[in-house]
Amino acid sequence: MDLKYVQTTCPYCGTGCSFNLVVKDGKVVGTQPYKRSPVNEGKVCPKGTYAHEFVNSPDRLTKPLIKKDGKFVEATWDEAYDLIAQKFKSYKPDEFAALSSARVSNEENYLMMKFARGVMKSRHIDHCARLCHASTVAGLAASFGSGAMTNSILDIAESKCIFVLGSNTLEQHPLIGRKIVQAKQDGAKVICADPRYTPTARLADLYMPFVSGTDVALLNGLMQEIIKNGWEDKEFIEKRTKDYEKLKEVVMKEDYSLENVSKVTGIPADQIKQAAEIFGTTKPGAILYSMGITQHTVGVDNVRSVANIQMLTGNLGKPGAGVNALRGQNNVQGACDMGALPVVFTGYQKVIDPAAHKKFADAWGFPDGICEPKNGYEVTVMMDVLTDNPGELKCMYIMGENPMISDPDINHVRHALESLEFLVVQDIFMTETSELADVVLPAACYAERDGTQTSTERRVQMWRKAQDPPGEAKEDWQIISELAAKMGYADQFPYQNMEEIFNEVAELTPSYHGMNYERLNKPEALHWPCPTVEHPGTPILHKEKFSHPDGIGIFAPIEWKPPAEVPDAEYPFVLTTGRILWHWHTGTMTRRSATLDSEVPTGWIEINPDDAKALGIQNKEMVRATTRRGTVNVPAKVTPDIMKGVMFMPFHFAECAANILTNNALDPIAKIPEFKACAVKVEKITEA
Amino acid sequence: MAAKGDMVYAWAADAACQERGECGGAVTALLTHALTSGMVDAVLAVKKGQDLYDAVPTLITNPEEIAETSGSLHCGTLLLSKLVKEYLDGAKDMRIAVPVKGCDAMGLYELAKRNQVNLDNVLMIGLNCGGSVSPVLAREMIAEKFGVDPDTVVKEEIDKGQFIIVTKDGEHKGISMDELEEAGFGRRSNCRRCKMKIPRQADLACGNWGVIGDKAGNATFVEVCSEKGANLLDGAVKAGGLKTEAANPKGIEIRGKVENSMLKLGDKWRAKDFEALGEGKERLQKIMSETGRCIKCYACIENCPICYCVECSTKKPYLVEPGQVPPPFMFHLIRYAHISDSCVNCGQCEENCAMDIPNALFMHALQTDMEKMFGHTPGVDMELPVLALVEEQAERQRLSDTGSDQIFDVFK
Repeated sequence: MDLKYVQTTCPYCGTGCSFNLVVKDGKVVGTQPYKRSPVNEGKVCPKGTYAHEFVNSPDRLTKPLIKKDGKFVEATWDEAYDLIAQKFKSYKPDEFAALSSARVSNEENYLMMKFARGVMKSRHIDHCARLCHASTVAGLAASFGSGAMTNSILDIAESKCIFVLGSNTLEQHPLIGRKIVQAKQDGAKVICADPRYTPTARLADLYMPFVSGTDVALLNGLMQEIIKNGWEDKEFIEKRTKDYEKLKEVVMKEDYSLENVSKVTGIPADQIKQAAEIFGTTKPGAILYSMGITQHTVGVDNVRSVANIQMLTGNLGKPGAGVNALRGQNNVQGACDMGALPVVFTGYQKVIDPAAHKKFADAWGFPDGICEPKNGYEVTVMMDVLTDNPGELKCMYIMGENPMISDPDINHVRHALESLEFLVVQDIFMTETSELADVVLPAACYAERDGTQTSTERRVQMWRKAQDPPGEAKEDWQIISELAAKMGYADQFPYQNMEEIFNEVAELTPSYHGMNYERLNKPEALHWPCPTVEHPGTPILHKEKFSHPDGIGIFAPIEWKPPAEVPDAEYPFVLTTGRILWHWHTGTMTRRSATLDSEVPTGWIEINPDDAKALGIQNKEMVRATTRRGTVNVPAKVTPDIMKGVMFMPFHFAECAANILTNNALDPIAKIPEFKACAVKVEKITEA
Repeated sequence: MAAKGDMVYAWAADAACQERGECGGAVTALLTHALTSGMVDAVLAVKKGQDLYDAVPTLITNPEEIAETSGSLHCGTLLLSKLVKEYLDGAKDMRIAVPVKGCDAMGLYELAKRNQVNLDNVLMIGLNCGGSVSPVLAREMIAEKFGVDPDTVVKEEIDKGQFIIVTKDGEHKGISMDELEEAGFGRRSNCRRCKMKIPRQADLACGNWGVIGDKAGNATFVEVCSEKGANLLDGAVKAGGLKTEAANPKGIEIRGKVENSMLKLGDKWRAKDFEALGEGKERLQKIMSETGRCIKCYACIENCPICYCVECSTKKPYLVEPGQVPPPFMFHLIRYAHISDSCVNCGQCEENCAMDIPNALFMHALQTDMEKMFGHTPGVDMELPVLALVEEQAERQRLSDTGSDQIFDVFK
């Protein structure tokens, strides 16, 4: 018998927990704590405890599949590669689009980016970061010059005041939630604003239920109260920021008085006053936010308002403070860092910057050049172009994404993907998206590969291979490299292993320049920026100065704007969506994990008891939820834990998919869709 | 010929093994002999992972690899018992040697009572243990209290009431455990309360306490605790892998004193910890409030050496509604009801809890109360726990026959 532990990092959320995979006779059979991890000290959430359960599922894809006469037929890798290469070559560069993946490694995201821009010479590459923190990347870059979480997970425990806004940390980033608990045990005050009384809200000293989409009003109101009382950090504002007067002009307006903000948000004025006093006078103060802030048509405005209040109170560049944008997926930070975005190469080097463009073109050495130095389409825009401008985009290569569940307005997504002439999907399971593909390629899962991933706190950590992929499945980097070779670019994809790819990334990326596998193999690993091999990494950003060229943080005057779609007589409720502790995004992994599936086998819609009574709806009754985009039948969960007038659906479940209902209205800058607020009506289902 | 109760000083015959191992490398030599002689098919031991704060269990069938497990790691807070059940089929078809701390040994006994581990196939080399320190906390402690970069530490030990580190520059630094623990560092709280310092329910009990004179630091004190242990010791000596001499009587006395003072310290911590929990309603209130942040990660169940049910009651929808966060209090009540008579205070349910709920403290407090009531001490022998003595069907019959409302009437 052979038994070994393989220490690796979790494939689910962006916290970056580690655990051991237990490998018995070459197969992953369990997980065990890895207590040496500085991030989670051996502790994990239920998804981590049972992260082995889906790995050897009989549903895993084991052979390439080619669709013939509407049915998938098993093929050899050569047959699949030949077909894909021949098809891909037949399209003009900008007729091709790639969707990279926040689920795979940095190395593989880098390769997909290189493939799209170098092999296909297309401008169009994006991934699901568009759907989660695009607003953070854009908003924080505008305010601070760097679009990432400013502090580290560990120093959240040192905070004296934690304001949780638009994050259900205990369920979505449970081991960051633990840091809130630790801070609280150490005397910190916790404030939480959320339409739902979540497990995170239960930790709060002050819980304020508020109407989804009124974040800017709330933050402006808090800032007005802080300024009125003189709680702002005058020295910080003076020395480290600019445009304070512009901010002041807006937030001091009568619109943002306690009374008016109370009307807009639904929070009693005295609670807002109390929150302002706690947050304005207790230092250091951290803000934790997530999708509740970003997934709005005003996502960037929300993010900039969070940045504003933290600059106003001087809560930046120190332990226990900061703008803690909690990134959703295991490697969504890394996928962004690797340039799997339509506007940047690695390390946020702009595609339209001639110097950066030349740097990558020269380093890669494609004899026939790379994509034009122009921005490409965001995934949400790709879908619109596909439906609204037929023939502009013709083929797509999707790696490890399932937009048929994860993207807003699924009927629209289906229409878009069906408009493609040729679709290749690379995944570990057959998904709602790969069903639509012409070719499906079987990939390795997290337990079957090495490589690095970058957690929400910019910590770059290792994955370690525990078992071989099933059947003929291959690691994504191998597939991309072999496909590139088939298309005549073997010289540009000569890799023998992940480490060679990482070294190329480090070479081209200033913030990763000082990293290598030897350093990353240490349990502490490294936080970027890490510019040299001697550099210890940077857990806390903006310590002395911000990342703008002049080192100054910029206040942005932001006016509150309502969501794109607000309740009316026909659709009288606000629908908001989110994930739950037990499942991961589109459910392909967690719904195949027996323990997780038995906890929560399907979705629901949360309805306040008063609303349910008015609608004549009982708990657990199947109801019909309808928006302007579509209709789903879904079980009702009648609960006082959601405020009146607001309804909530988890989005993991294909059979009652929340995203059939959501609105593809986009933030004008970040192009992030408004998952967190649209207008819905809910009806009893009566027999016809 | 060695016999149960014998006490010897032992050390490895091989110089390299002496060097690598702790106190003369006797345990390494014993494990090597167990494997090479065919007494066991494999050794389950702990080796150093990334650094000395990282303990990794390893299953060894090649005797040459045993060297990797030499030396002690006080920041390894693993429990090996459950691994034997979970991943080695409870040693049903395989004979294994396992170096065990008190909690490992107690866990193995409890699993054996429940037919989850075949103790006949397990050779337990007991290790004296004064407690262990969680790795991340240990690093913090070394940085904060010792003022030393934890990456520069090449050795740590717990000796004479001190936590001692040696840096790569050869500098020794020790701070008393009391002082460290006063400051919130030091041993895990379950270790502080532990009173299983010399695991005599193992086949051999090994440690450095009581090794005096020229053998101090160069030999291991071995107490023979079973016939199996005697055979191993004899075999290793006969094969030339191990050398022994009779333990110095003064050393035996000193060992007894060390053990006693550790037990007293354990009592002191118990009194302190349990008192702080309060009693009755106050205690219940505390437990309900602390468990109120549970996210049902199941770490307490998955890592518990008492939990073994294929169909866990906490997963029965009519007892605990699935999917709720936090789970209903019944989730925790089921654990208290099922475990507390047999809790061995291994600490895993607390150390692995995602929300830092002091689960081990609650369970251990209940266990000591039950031990007082029923006189049952878990983990020391094969005596069955209180609840296991009750046949549910028979109890239900009795209830219906007598009209009693006392389920499991243990007071009869």
